[in-house]
Amino acid sequence: MSDEYENNKSGYQAQSSEAITGSAGSTSPDIDYVRPAELPEQDLYHGHTFITKWVFCQDAKVIGVQYFLTAVFTGIVGLILSWLMRLQLGFPGLAGFITAEHYYQFVTMHGMIMVVYFLTALFLGGFGNYLIPLMVGARDMVFPYVNMLSFWMFFVAVVILMASFFVPGGPTGAGWTLYPPQTILEGTPGSGMGILLMLVSLALFVIGFTMGGLNYMITVLQARTRGMTLMRMPLTVWGIFTATVLAMLAFPALLVSAIMMTLDKVIGTSFFMPTILKAGEVLEYGGGSPILFQHLFWFFGHPEVYIVALPAFGIVSDLISVHARKNIFGYRMMVWAIVGIGALSFFVWAHHMYVSGMNPWFGFFFATTTLIIAVPTAMKVYNWILTLWRGNIRINTVMLWCLGFIVTFVNGGITGIFLGNVSVDVPLSDTYFVVAHFHMVMGIAPVMVIMGAVYHWFPLITGRLLNETLGKWHFWTTFLGAYSIYFPMHYLGFIGVPRRYYEMYDSPYMTSAVGMNEFISLAAFLVGAAQFFLIFNVIKTLKTGKRAPKNPWKANSLEWHTSTQPPEHGNFGERLPVVHRWPYDFSVPGAKDDFIPQTTPPSEMVHTKVEKT
Amino acid sequence: MSSDPKIDGFELKPGFRGMASDTGSDQTMFKGVHWGKAMMWIFLVSDTFVFSCFLIAYMKGRGSTPVEWPNPSEVFALDAFGVPVPLLLIALMTFVLITSSGTMALAVKYGYEKNRKMCGWLILATAIGGLTFVGMQVYEWSKLIHEGVRPWGNPFGAAQFGSFFFMITGFHGTHVSIGVIFLFIYAYKVFAGHYENGGKRGWFTTMKGDYVEIEILGLYWHFVDLVWVFIFAFFYLW
Amino acid sequence: MDNTDQISEKEKKTEGSSHKIGIYLWIWGLLFVLSFFSYMVDWYQFQGMLRWSLILFFMFLKAGLIMAFFMHLFWERYALVNVLLWPMTAIACFIFLMAAEFQYTFITRMFYFFVGGAA
Repeated sequence: MSDEYENNKSGYQAQSSEAITGSAGSTSPDIDYVRPAELPEQDLYHGHTFITKWVFCQDAKVIGVQYFLTAVFTGIVGLILSWLMRLQLGFPGLAGFITAEHYYQFVTMHGMIMVVYFLTALFLGGFGNYLIPLMVGARDMVFPYVNMLSFWMFFVAVVILMASFFVPGGPTGAGWTLYPPQTILEGTPGSGMGILLMLVSLALFVIGFTMGGLNYMITVLQARTRGMTLMRMPLTVWGIFTATVLAMLAFPALLVSAIMMTLDKVIGTSFFMPTILKAGEVLEYGGGSPILFQHLFWFFGHPEVYIVALPAFGIVSDLISVHARKNIFGYRMMVWAIVGIGALSFFVWAHHMYVSGMNPWFGFFFATTTLIIAVPTAMKVYNWILTLWRGNIRINTVMLWCLGFIVTFVNGGITGIFLGNVSVDVPLSDTYFVVAHFHMVMGIAPVMVIMGAVYHWFPLITGRLLNETLGKWHFWTTFLGAYSIYFPMHYLGFIGVPRRYYEMYDSPYMTSAVGMNEFISLAAFLVGAAQFFLIFNVIKTLKTGKRAPKNPWKANSLEWHTSTQPPEHGNFGERLPVVHRWPYDFSVPGAKDDFIPQTTPPSEMVHTKVEKT
Repeated sequence: MSSDPKIDGFELKPGFRGMASDTGSDQTMFKGVHWGKAMMWIFLVSDTFVFSCFLIAYMKGRGSTPVEWPNPSEVFALDAFGVPVPLLLIALMTFVLITSSGTMALAVKYGYEKNRKMCGWLILATAIGGLTFVGMQVYEWSKLIHEGVRPWGNPFGAAQFGSFFFMITGFHGTHVSIGVIFLFIYAYKVFAGHYENGGKRGWFTTMKGDYVEIEILGLYWHFVDLVWVFIFAFFYLW
Repeated sequence: MDNTDQISEKEKKTEGSSHKIGIYLWIWGLLFVLSFFSYMVDWYQFQGMLRWSLILFFMFLKAGLIMAFFMHLFWERYALVNVLLWPMTAIACFIFLMAAEFQYTFITRMFYFFVGGAA
């Protein structure tokens, strides 16, 4: 490879001198030239009281932590619900208080909480808020006040969701997909207040998220710092940004279906309700289309899968690159894969509906588009592995989580290819194979990335390093435990154990399932308990943990190069950083250190073999 | 392209070459576009998806109902001098909304020319147009309810007719009403001179006011009109 | 270089657009005419494909005019226009598939109502 900057020196000069003519106060043209700022400095509202500093705060970092903590709280509720479900499945009748109705309510709330209120809020609200402004070099989100409203709207949505546990009839038990007509008919648990609160909570979540999503999008598109082109953004930002775009376009379908179902429930319209005979009597509903709800729901639901997955893809790319001390393999390919997966995700939704009784020709279309998604996804997996290839890998906790992610994701992705084919899906549909698939691919895999991200960015947020020993215990128990849960579930699916069943009773062909269910349940208790390693670790670290040096992982991206660590409100002190390169210049031949921060100007790197970015 | 901004140190190329160089540049992708305006555009795309989902649901619902769909031309007819005229009220509503859209477009134009008086009066005219539209919609709703059309059923045919009618026009009417409220607020702000002499600090923001806010408001208002074009075609004419 | 001293006065002035009033009046007039035409489609009770194609034609023309001129998309840079229009392909796909779906639902309903399901 040639010496990039030496050769291009004249080119840079020509470009910069041409650009500088006409602007007042020009400096001498040099290779460090970055064109001036287009926009004035953002004027921020700095809180003074406890309320404006920590509660109704307009600082994206505080909002991010608020999102994070609220999402983790809902996640713990979801975890406890999963324990209760496994208690029933592994040892039926042991816990007498779990009736069939309760079981369905646990299933429903576990699903909805984990997908929407935990993962979506945590990745986009939590990591998005904290990292986007820092990584693109902005002082804050572009509309801080709207950003604050976004969190509080989410908070109200969570409160309403939790309130549904305490209303008469309990929360809805219709399954997280809320399929009509049974969702709002008597006989389904929580068909009264429960479903209503769920729909209201979802609508508020959508409104709150829209406010946040506009912020994330405009901050990435319109508020980057000088020199920060789209192709110099860390992949974390790309992942979160693309996921936000998906959310802005997919959540409307959820909002619409929530509104229509609320009308069906409250004032008795029949959008989704066909003519129904109940105990010999015809109900007042008639003429509606239940499958319409499924289409609307999955038009939201499938992009939602990628709303969870794309930020994980982005974050894990950065973590792998930093901790393998190597530039990410095929950065542009990675970006285009993220964008491509995002775009394709709007054309695949009905692969969740192969057995729903939709137009049978759709299977052909949706199986094709679904399998096409495997191409960019596989590209990403290869690129992660090629990034690791001959890297200077540090086997620390963060890297362990990343490696765990790759394995888990490949596993879940391959079962996804099974299920994407109509003829394979039909017998496997509604069995534990599906449960194993989606928990691997959008449950365990993104959670592994979250864990890795927590260990990675904890020093940035708090200034202290998490304990590595505890972290490794946390990883190995979680990783092995999660495999003990979900690997046997594939087998359960193959022998035909149906999902969402309260109990298997004495089905003779399922005798081998009994022992396996017990084993899975024990593993599930263990994995849930293992998360207390993290909680204990966080508490211990906050009290007595090792103080982190500045930029402890020797990373290049802007969030580690703020004026203070943790960064203050306004992020970068007096001056915004000026970006000269991508964030992946690791182990560059000829460079003094094995990393070159994004702010290092080319003139300091003249005799190194950096890539042109 | 007359509205291209001038940006220090960056050459704005026209057409698709410009698109490539804008996208590849640092700092901003939409050159010279105000943050609020970009936000409104993205929001409108999101809102387009909301209305599209409503209309798609309507198509699916109407297409698959085995009961006959009422003939909108007859249902929405209005007696003028004793003769039933099909869709008369809807035609008037369309007229009013397009009128208000035109005044809004002119208000944006005069806003950029810093013509405070003209801009304010035109926004006020737009608001009154919007108010008239909402009033006519109230009349339309009450007339239909009087004739026995309910969200859960109606005497003319498929029950989904009333359901979709009230939901879609109601959701659109809500958008119009919110727009009217903001039109009145911004008419006040323009008359009070909040955008003169460098601008006054707005609510909930530390950014100074600027006439670009009128364009942002205009985008929303034209979007409401745009949605009506589709509702008019799909619900009333189809 | 400092950020603050680089905001040129030029920028503030050039933001947004100011076009001749004629173009707005033209578009305004055209919208009235087109609305009148689409109303006439109902007035003369055209039916079948003629009605549908006329309705869609006038609808898209009106929507295009509003977006292009009243919402200034015609004058915006392609970077913005491009970002705004691409998502509509997802909507188009949704529409086409749902059009196929409602026909299928209708046919199956008619089949089970009049032929019966017990084969």
